[in-house]
Amino acid sequence: MALRVMVVDDALFMRSMLKDIFVRAGYEVVAEAENGEIALELYQEIKPDLVTMDIVMPKKSGIEALQEIMASDPDACVVMVSALGQDSLVLEAVESGAKDFIVKPFKENNVLEIVRRITGQA
Amino acid sequence: MDMSQYRDLFLSETREHINNLNQLVVTLEQEPGNRETIDALFREAHSIKGMAATMGFDRTAELSHHLEDMLDGFRATGEVPASTVDYLLAGIDLLDGLLDDLQSNKPERSIDAFMVETPNEEPAREESVLTAEILEEIPAEELVAVAVEGESEEITPADESAPEPEVAPVVKVETEESNKAETKKKSVKEPDVFKVLVKLAENTPAAAARGILVLRELEKSGELMSSKPDMAALRGGAPCQKIQAWLRTSLAKMHIEEALLRISGVVKVRFIDDRRKDESSGRDEGGRTIRVRTDLLDQFVNLTGELITNRYMLHTATNGRDWDKLTQTLSQTSRLIDDLHHQVLQARLMPLENITGRLPRIIRDLSRKTNKEVTLRLTGAEVGIDRVVLEALTDPLVHLVRNAVDHGIEKEGVVTLSARREKDLVLIEVADDGKGMDPEQLRQQAVDRDLMTPSQAASLSDRDALMLVCRPGFSTTEEVTETSGRGVGMDVVKAAVSNLGGSLDIISAPGEGSRFQMRLPLSIAIIKILLVSCAGHPLAIPLTRVQRTLDLPTCDIQLSGQKRVFRLGEEVVSLYSLAEALGLPEVAAGETTWVVLTEVQGRRVGLQVDHFLGQREAFVKALGFPLNLLVGLNGATVEGNGQVVFIVDPQALLENRQLFKND
Repeated sequence: MALRVMVVDDALFMRSMLKDIFVRAGYEVVAEAENGEIALELYQEIKPDLVTMDIVMPKKSGIEALQEIMASDPDACVVMVSALGQDSLVLEAVESGAKDFIVKPFKENNVLEIVRRITGQA
Repeated sequence: MDMSQYRDLFLSETREHINNLNQLVVTLEQEPGNRETIDALFREAHSIKGMAATMGFDRTAELSHHLEDMLDGFRATGEVPASTVDYLLAGIDLLDGLLDDLQSNKPERSIDAFMVETPNEEPAREESVLTAEILEEIPAEELVAVAVEGESEEITPADESAPEPEVAPVVKVETEESNKAETKKKSVKEPDVFKVLVKLAENTPAAAARGILVLRELEKSGELMSSKPDMAALRGGAPCQKIQAWLRTSLAKMHIEEALLRISGVVKVRFIDDRRKDESSGRDEGGRTIRVRTDLLDQFVNLTGELITNRYMLHTATNGRDWDKLTQTLSQTSRLIDDLHHQVLQARLMPLENITGRLPRIIRDLSRKTNKEVTLRLTGAEVGIDRVVLEALTDPLVHLVRNAVDHGIEKEGVVTLSARREKDLVLIEVADDGKGMDPEQLRQQAVDRDLMTPSQAASLSDRDALMLVCRPGFSTTEEVTETSGRGVGMDVVKAAVSNLGGSLDIISAPGEGSRFQMRLPLSIAIIKILLVSCAGHPLAIPLTRVQRTLDLPTCDIQLSGQKRVFRLGEEVVSLYSLAEALGLPEVAAGETTWVVLTEVQGRRVGLQVDHFLGQREAFVKALGFPLNLLVGLNGATVEGNGQVVFIVDPQALLENRQLFKND
């Protein structure tokens, strides 16, 4: 079965890009969320195989959302999407259970490699 | 990756962010210590940076990064110094300019000058960008603030070698289970102890976090005995370009190496020297994007579903010759189609606030420049307007607001921008409580400027006298001001509104302020038309261009020189033949002459037609080459019987005709 992915980012632009990358790779983007709050809700409802999570978002930051997702589902597979210069936040995210992180600007291959690595899908 | 398909989305979304930035800065100026506003500003700049960097628009990314850094500093202090507001605004303007460049496919303009003239208040923290220097657990907002302080004493250069583990490398334990590496049990053998050297790419972002992921991967492969830097140091954000680790594992080195190299940022693992494959993937072309709310799409699906059901009902009714049923189903169908039409229009609507976003900023700048105290009031910014209309309205609206500040308000006052729906029109009004306009003075000016004779001027109604300001070359102020006396005049505003099939009204009197009202169609793809017959051909005139229709006794039409005229109340109105304007053979009028009253260049004129056929809604189809070269034809629509009906734009048609220029 295709990998089910949820994309979380407050910028439609970023969501679209990631979504296209995943769709091209044959994954199924089952949900999109524009802030941590919605992400959390959707996660509980849909339980996607993989979440890509922006860090700086309104309402609820990606880190908070990550922490709450990990608390409810320790096996959650969350990849952070960060900008340059957010090292400390990334560190916090990794500490909180993020499986990996993608740094903007990214390349299609980077994203897919990271996803394949952590999901064990070739 | 081909990024061009995201360009439009990038541009439109970034414009929104810039709008928000402008608004937020103005808000901030009123409440300099508002934490939420500063946070919001930071997020906006941050978003732009991320998108621009991804698109590879380096200067836009650099500038937004710069602004973001600056704002981040303010997040730490919780306040934005008043002296930096102008700098911020200048930065936002520059961003806007960069976006203009990108939009017109030009190289991004230079930002060097801006980057150099940094205000004193800006915290110097550029250097913290690529290194992680944070130790303690601190709330996310505070993190970078701490980075500014600098915890550099915590950063210890990595030693060249990791401490030797207690276990001698030669010892082999027979029965050791291959512990956590269940998933990677590719070649189980006796555990071995060896040293791994992992090298990360230069300037790897968030290198410490990357290091933690490397160590985690090693932990999965076996027993991580020691490492340099170790987990604790990495948690503290220690710099890490190289990681040395002692590992006890029964997995083949090759597999460990492979797993490590899969971690992004890992460029080298010591044993093997082959490269990661570098595949490139194909891509497909993208189209233009429009954002539609998903609930709206759901409604489309519902409605089309119901229409399908309806089609079956129609079939059944027809087959059974059940006329009652047929009539009933037809009326249902027509209701569904109305609904669908309405919903589809909704999809094209965008709130007015998309273009009002920059007005507070414009008012602020104007107030300063003119030394007036002007307050802007916005109501109805949520009203939805067709995106095409909205785009074309941006400049006229700005011009009206500038005019209001410049010419309307004297020392202090209020400019009100309001919008509301009026049936299938949107009324947008820009009003000021300034000195108002004097019709008498305008009449005089028109005469002074040789635009008309004194008697012509005297015959103008007050309303028409006010509309004189929309004549090209007519300006109420003697001196051209920097703000509104540039290029765009009221004539351009009027033309823009007309082009959209809308109308402009001015309501003003001395001492009573001025109100500029624009009435615009909600959508320009489906319009209401008046169907007329002209030299035997059906023709359509957009209803927005029709002031009223008249059936005039032919004997009431008089000749004034070469021209035919008729009286309408106090006014003398010129009459033109639509057939003549279109080069069609004229049909002589009987006792009654059918006239469509319309407006051309601010003047009321009558258009003679054979007779009226009725009103209806029409879907406008654009004309293809070479028909699109015909002046005065806006498009065409198809009648129920399949006949193509041209849509006439009376204004364009008459303006282009010699018969109108002659008088």
